[in-house]
Amino acid sequence: MATRAFQRLPSAPAGRILVLRLAAIVLSLCIIAGVLALSGHSPVVLAELILRSTLGSRFGLEDLALFMCPLLLTGAAVTVCGTIGLWNIGAEGQFYAGAIAATGVALGLHGPAIMVLPVMTIAGILGGMAWIAVPTLARAYAGVNEIITTLLLNFIASLLTYYLTTGPWRDRISGAQVSTQRLSVSIPEMWGIVHWGFPVAIVIVIGLALVLSRTRWGYEIRIGGANPEAARYAGIPVRLRIISVMLLSGGLAGLAGMFEVAGTVHRLQGGMANNFGYLGIVVAVLARGSCLNVIPAALLMALILDSGIVMQTQQLSASVVLAITGLILFMIAIGDELAHYRPVAGATPKGKAS
Amino acid sequence: MSKQPAPAGVAPGTPPVLQLRGIGKFFPGVIANKDVDLDVWPGEIHALLGENGAGKSTLMNVVTGIYQPEEGEIILDGYGQTFTSPQEAIRAGIGMVHQHFKLVQAFTVAENIHLGWDEAPRIASPAVMEARTREISERFGFPVRPDARVCDLSAGEQQRVEILRVLARKARLLIMDEPTAVLTPEETGELFRALRAFRAQGNAVIIISHKLDEVMEISDRVSILRGGRKVGTFNTADCNPSMLAATMVGRDIVRRNMRARPEGAAPIATDPVMQLRNVSVRDDRGVDTLRDVSLDLYGGEILGIAGVAGNGQRELTHVLTGLMARTSGEILLDGNLVDRADPALFVQAGVGHIPEDRLRSALAPSLSVTANMALREYPYPPIGTHGLYDAQAAGGLARDIAELAQVTIPDFAMPVRNLSGGNQQRLVARREIRIASRVLVAAYPARGLDIGAIATMLGYLTDLRDQGVAVVFISEDLEDLLNVSDRIGVMFHGRLMSVIDAEAADMATIGLLMGGRDATNTQSGAAQ
Repeated sequence: MATRAFQRLPSAPAGRILVLRLAAIVLSLCIIAGVLALSGHSPVVLAELILRSTLGSRFGLEDLALFMCPLLLTGAAVTVCGTIGLWNIGAEGQFYAGAIAATGVALGLHGPAIMVLPVMTIAGILGGMAWIAVPTLARAYAGVNEIITTLLLNFIASLLTYYLTTGPWRDRISGAQVSTQRLSVSIPEMWGIVHWGFPVAIVIVIGLALVLSRTRWGYEIRIGGANPEAARYAGIPVRLRIISVMLLSGGLAGLAGMFEVAGTVHRLQGGMANNFGYLGIVVAVLARGSCLNVIPAALLMALILDSGIVMQTQQLSASVVLAITGLILFMIAIGDELAHYRPVAGATPKGKAS
Repeated sequence: MSKQPAPAGVAPGTPPVLQLRGIGKFFPGVIANKDVDLDVWPGEIHALLGENGAGKSTLMNVVTGIYQPEEGEIILDGYGQTFTSPQEAIRAGIGMVHQHFKLVQAFTVAENIHLGWDEAPRIASPAVMEARTREISERFGFPVRPDARVCDLSAGEQQRVEILRVLARKARLLIMDEPTAVLTPEETGELFRALRAFRAQGNAVIIISHKLDEVMEISDRVSILRGGRKVGTFNTADCNPSMLAATMVGRDIVRRNMRARPEGAAPIATDPVMQLRNVSVRDDRGVDTLRDVSLDLYGGEILGIAGVAGNGQRELTHVLTGLMARTSGEILLDGNLVDRADPALFVQAGVGHIPEDRLRSALAPSLSVTANMALREYPYPPIGTHGLYDAQAAGGLARDIAELAQVTIPDFAMPVRNLSGGNQQRLVARREIRIASRVLVAAYPARGLDIGAIATMLGYLTDLRDQGVAVVFISEDLEDLLNVSDRIGVMFHGRLMSVIDAEAADMATIGLLMGGRDATNTQSGAAQ
């Protein structure tokens, strides 16, 4: 007990985390390659294919950007909420609510895109906010755990989407299953199939990073998250801040849903959230509470998703892809934990507890 | 004192249940206990009294096997014992009920009673456990509902479960740490009745407390610890609260007059900055924690607040800084009525606050040193302009504060928790002094500091006084209070007993007041 070879740091330096995460990714890729080789696939061929169809081709890059767009926003939604110490597990539901609201506008409002799109955007944001409103008020005024309330509302939003797309809003034109008709307006494309929602999402994330670090509101949120008692002591109206942060978080996820409907899918479809809400939690965890880190974290997550699709075309089942995702995240979590430890100078390497 | 004969009623030749001989326990740089002798006889309730940090809890942790003593021996029923774990102490019949209960909230009472108990039946249905619990509950006279979940119980009921847990394991010596801190007066009465019944069966109780009247009511003998050593053991019948209070705090006091003002210091203002008019606070247990307190604070004056901890000092601090709403009475700032408890309002008025638990409530541990130093001034220029937060200006402020506090900080972006506790305290004190343009409320500002740092801290207070700030200095150290304060108020049971002129104050008077005796001859120097 007297001599320990490692010392635990209370907070891990960012450089060490980066190095260990890269090591974790490389290590997990090696493990994956080993398993694939044992099961009769050639890791080299697969790797080449994945690289070519993601980072190595224009089509791949466009696909990556489309995956990143919702992940940036849902990741930011969870990160912002986490800054004040709360978990928004309901980005999935708020995503659907935003998509539903935007679709409602598009189906009911006929006019030029320049007029309809802004209304859809506002409707999407308000939809997300409305979906988190009850958990927000319950949290702020009754102390109800937001993790459970936001999570449960996901299922309602998802089922509501199924109801609308098979019931009142079902496609009566082409007869597509579990879908509305194609929306008459869409977000203009800027580069191939990548719509303008992508750069807007990047700007929003950067803007949020600035708001959190450079405004009084952001400072109060950070204090409120780090120690609510200290926030109260400093005269910060913690309850109002909780309400504003949670609504913002819901609005971001709702906007992600609107972008997806109006930019990528062009219809409201059952199951269209594609786990983007839940993956937003993963992105936020990878970003470690920093909005700027959401960008590389969303990129990593998009890469994993995209590679998964490529692998499915090579007769690898979807569950293998899920297992790979889990492995990479698992290794990164270990890397993050190890980053807290540093060797103690002078400790005997094989020091038996004396 | 330690060689007291067995009290009346104990058969001759009966050894004490517990004997401690020369117990010493040291932590790096701290002597927690030294040369402590203690006898606890069957059939007695023994109170252990002392200030915060006097070594009561450490001593009891030694007795219950949580700590191993460096010196001395523990003798049970005449036989020497060493405990290497709490389990061994429990097996030997020593049970402790901690101040913060150690129950599984989601389990039922019966499940909690049987948890980790080697006599619990191997296969036990809820019905069996509940029946056993009911039997135990009746045997010891602590009524509980065996099938209730612990999280649904009141603090008093939870405490009964804790006690039963210990008694079920055949404890003959029950140690209770501040048992009445969470109880209503009715629950306290019930607890005391049950403890007396337990004593009547020839068992012993050690009760840690600093509520003097409860010690007087329940205990047969009192041992007083101070600075880790035992001052003495007394028959409670020979004691009175004032004498106990004086013994608890009474060391040789070196009186240094720090009241003298230098040339050019601000005189004591004629109009009060802040006034309390008959302020009372009732907590959510329905206990009046602050009763009818009236107080005037004048710029350029230090008002000391003395009293045994837990007599309303915390509530007074919180009312004075807007953290706690009063139940009745009035608060005036510069003659204007303050109608709501809002800390921001008080900060704006120039009221600084060094809270008692500053590391927990005045800092955000995971945020940077800079962010923590900006906590009080972020809404105002240069840091806060047009709703923005200027990180650069905050950095400048943090450097200024660190320099004044004489804390060297390698990196202002690192989390404040990386600093030592002492340095965090210095930074908080300096930050609060900066904003205290009218009033500083300092609760135990010297606690945890070494002697040099205490002198510096007291110097801060007198400097502020000389600048014309009204300082409220709450402390349990009478020496510091007498040296620095102009007036001293004494708190007892939430009441401000009396405010006396510090120069004329003597230990005996303050001791009487701390024990709740409103000595009429002390009224001469009292403020109206």
